[in-house]
Amino acid sequence: MIRRTQRLKKEYLYRKSLEGKERVNYENKRKIREALQEGKPIPTELRNVEAQLRREIDLEDENTAVPRTHIDDEYAFAAEKDPKILLTTSRNPTAPLQRFVKELSIVFPNAQRMNRGNQVVSEIIESCRSHDFTDVILVHEHRGVPDGLIVSHLPYGPTAYFGLLNVVTRHEIQDKEAVKTMPEAYPHIILDNFNTKLGERTATILKYLFPVPKPDTKRIITFANKSDYISFRHHIHEKQGGPKSVTLKEIGPRFELRLYQIKLGTVDQAEAQTEWVIRPYMNTTRKRKFLSN
Amino acid sequence: MANTNNAGAEALRRLKEVDPPSLLAPNPTLSETARAASQYLFSSIRPFSQKCPLDQLLVDGYDAEQIWHQIDLQTQPLLSTLRRRVNQFVKNPDEIAQLKVPSSVAKKVEAKNHEEWEQESDDFDEELDEDDDDEDDFEGVEKEEKNGGSDGEEEDDDDDDDEEGSEDEDEDEEGEKEKGKGKDSGIEDKFLKINELNEYLEKEENNYENAEEADDGDEDSEEDDELEKAGEFEMDEDDEDDDEEEDEDDEEEEEGMENARYDDFFVGKKEKSSKRKDQLVEESEDSGDEDDMESNKQVCVCVCVYVCVCMIVKIFILKIKFSYPVFLYSFMQKKRTASTHEKQLEKIQSEIELMEKANVEPKTWSMQGEVTAANRPVDSLLAVNLDFEHNVRPTPVITEEFTASIEEMIQKRIIEGLFNDVQRAPRLPSKAPREVKELDDNKSKKGLAEMYEQEYVQKIDPTSAPLSSKDKLKNEASMLFKRLCLKLDALSHFSFAPKPVIEDMSFQTNVPALAMEEIAPVAVSDAAMLAPEEVFDGKGDVKEEAELTQAERKRRRANKKRKFKADAVKRSEKKARSEKKEDNAIPGQVNG
Repeated sequence: MIRRTQRLKKEYLYRKSLEGKERVNYENKRKIREALQEGKPIPTELRNVEAQLRREIDLEDENTAVPRTHIDDEYAFAAEKDPKILLTTSRNPTAPLQRFVKELSIVFPNAQRMNRGNQVVSEIIESCRSHDFTDVILVHEHRGVPDGLIVSHLPYGPTAYFGLLNVVTRHEIQDKEAVKTMPEAYPHIILDNFNTKLGERTATILKYLFPVPKPDTKRIITFANKSDYISFRHHIHEKQGGPKSVTLKEIGPRFELRLYQIKLGTVDQAEAQTEWVIRPYMNTTRKRKFLSN
Repeated sequence: MANTNNAGAEALRRLKEVDPPSLLAPNPTLSETARAASQYLFSSIRPFSQKCPLDQLLVDGYDAEQIWHQIDLQTQPLLSTLRRRVNQFVKNPDEIAQLKVPSSVAKKVEAKNHEEWEQESDDFDEELDEDDDDEDDFEGVEKEEKNGGSDGEEEDDDDDDDEEGSEDEDEDEEGEKEKGKGKDSGIEDKFLKINELNEYLEKEENNYENAEEADDGDEDSEEDDELEKAGEFEMDEDDEDDDEEEDEDDEEEEEGMENARYDDFFVGKKEKSSKRKDQLVEESEDSGDEDDMESNKQVCVCVCVYVCVCMIVKIFILKIKFSYPVFLYSFMQKKRTASTHEKQLEKIQSEIELMEKANVEPKTWSMQGEVTAANRPVDSLLAVNLDFEHNVRPTPVITEEFTASIEEMIQKRIIEGLFNDVQRAPRLPSKAPREVKELDDNKSKKGLAEMYEQEYVQKIDPTSAPLSSKDKLKNEASMLFKRLCLKLDALSHFSFAPKPVIEDMSFQTNVPALAMEEIAPVAVSDAAMLAPEEVFDGKGDVKEEAELTQAERKRRRANKKRKFKADAVKRSEKKARSEKKEDNAIPGQVNG
């Protein structure tokens, strides 16, 4: 089992390293295809490889035409398999944090909550792999207020580190809520304003935490990005009246997420490559937006 | 006793005669004389001071401070008692008559008698006439008495007070004349009447005479007398300047301020102030001299300075107390005269001063560039508003508008139905599609006989490839593959068991007959090789040239010739044909 995982990891890394070449190939093929379609002469730099590439073009189908990246590898079976999430906390959690994690376990369908005890992160990851979990979510806190969220996709997938701000838990608004229970149907997802590549990446990480919903669910989870702060909102909608009016009722916790790191490995891999990390002390950070345009 | 007394008196006299400038420089002889004088005085007063623990003034090797302290020890209680006594006498003048004069004093008094007293009183009168104000007069009177006393001390305390007093009075008279002449009108006042003064003096006289007659050895009276006199002397000499002035001031204040009038202050103010100054100067000089005399060289200068300071303070105090209205008036005068320009100038000047002062001082910590915690006071940052350049956008505050905007966006998306859900992707075929065995209903094309034939062939020769009902393409493919495999096996390993050769009826290959049974490896074995007679393409018995007989040789040569001739004929025919063609072709070319 260990050897198998190691082999798979190596293969994955190797394929990742080939991505550059594949991308070049893909680009050349695309150019040739365009030239052929428009009837223009093939560009001179591709003359030597033209014949071979042409053959490949003829042979390729819809799956091989698109260049596959490691991202696709990571989420290759995500569309086919339903996600299975494990939720835990940091060590010695306070009662408010435990309540918050309990709420989150209801928000994410197919989620299980586990007491942290004194487990090491690598232990957790190993057990998750053997039990076929797809994602692990760790929640951290500061004096009872949740302040960190680590989403780790499991088969060597990426780990996204978020900071939580302005957390309002369901426990805090319990008195005002008429409905004490929450529907647990698979929700619709709304991802708003993720325009850049990094934004797309974050969007996929968040998207694949949820399974495929039925088209007629009333539950909606929103991740709205505004100047690099992602707002999480959880609503139930009702279509009242004919003229396309929708009433929203907010349930569930609400918080702001702030992405500060993406690593190309699981949580327990300390030496994994960093895909992106926030640079708060760069002079132009203030002007730039990384998740949107 | 007398010798020491004489020495002490002599010292005193010498002190008196010293001129002030010489006091500025430290002089050991002078200090010695001062010490002797003070010792003498101390011992002379000692009988009258009951509370003093010291019997003698210890001078040798003692500091000026210490000597002063010793004198203080003696004089402080004395002063209080004397004051009490004087107050008593002021209240009850009858008691004065009861006083007894000491014997020695009495004798001297006898010698002098009325004339001198009258002289004194005359002198006093003259002096009083010369004075200006009542206060001045009173002071002058007091001073006269004191000065007289001090002058007397210088020579001899116990002896001839009156004589000395008269002498001194003469001196004082001159001094008074030097000071300046005042008005007669100013002398008399409510609290000083010359007639009363004269009466008092006569009383004193009578008291002294009585005392002489009545008692000689009455020490108490003597003491009292001595005390009285000594008190005056003491006050003059051993008091600090402040005490004297304070007393004078107090008395003057008490008597003057109750009935203060404008005329009292401003009519003869200049003269008055100058007189006061002179008197003060004289006083201070006297005491100053004594101070200097009695001190060490170290303390000489200090005491001088102190005296000057005291003088200044005195003047200042006096001026304030007696010419406070004067000051006010002059101050107001100044204010009125300052013009607006001057005021502006003053303001600007003060501002300039402030700024210059700030520039000269070291800067506050907040203006000193980079300041670490060690260079600034504790918790000083709490008071200062610091300005930081923040490179991070501030965390968003969730307002109503923000929530409303998000909800709007959600509603829009719901209405449009645009969700970012996960889409199910079509699965790639990971397994090959299973072969579904279809039962063919059609009639089989092969006849039964053919089927049996095939089965029989299969049984006999298992190597023969049965033409199954598979596709032809498949057969072809399998054939190719088998051939390929055979070749690969032949190349790859030695322990190869060759597969049974498939014999095709259609064509014969050059496969050896023993291929199946051959044990040797294919790579090395000769099984694939043809036998020599199969390779040989010839006929009959082959003989070498050496073995040939004559007839056979001839026969070979004949055959060869025949062949050659036949070939030559053929060649010539070919040539002829080709030449004909060329002949036909050439004329065309020659012509063209």
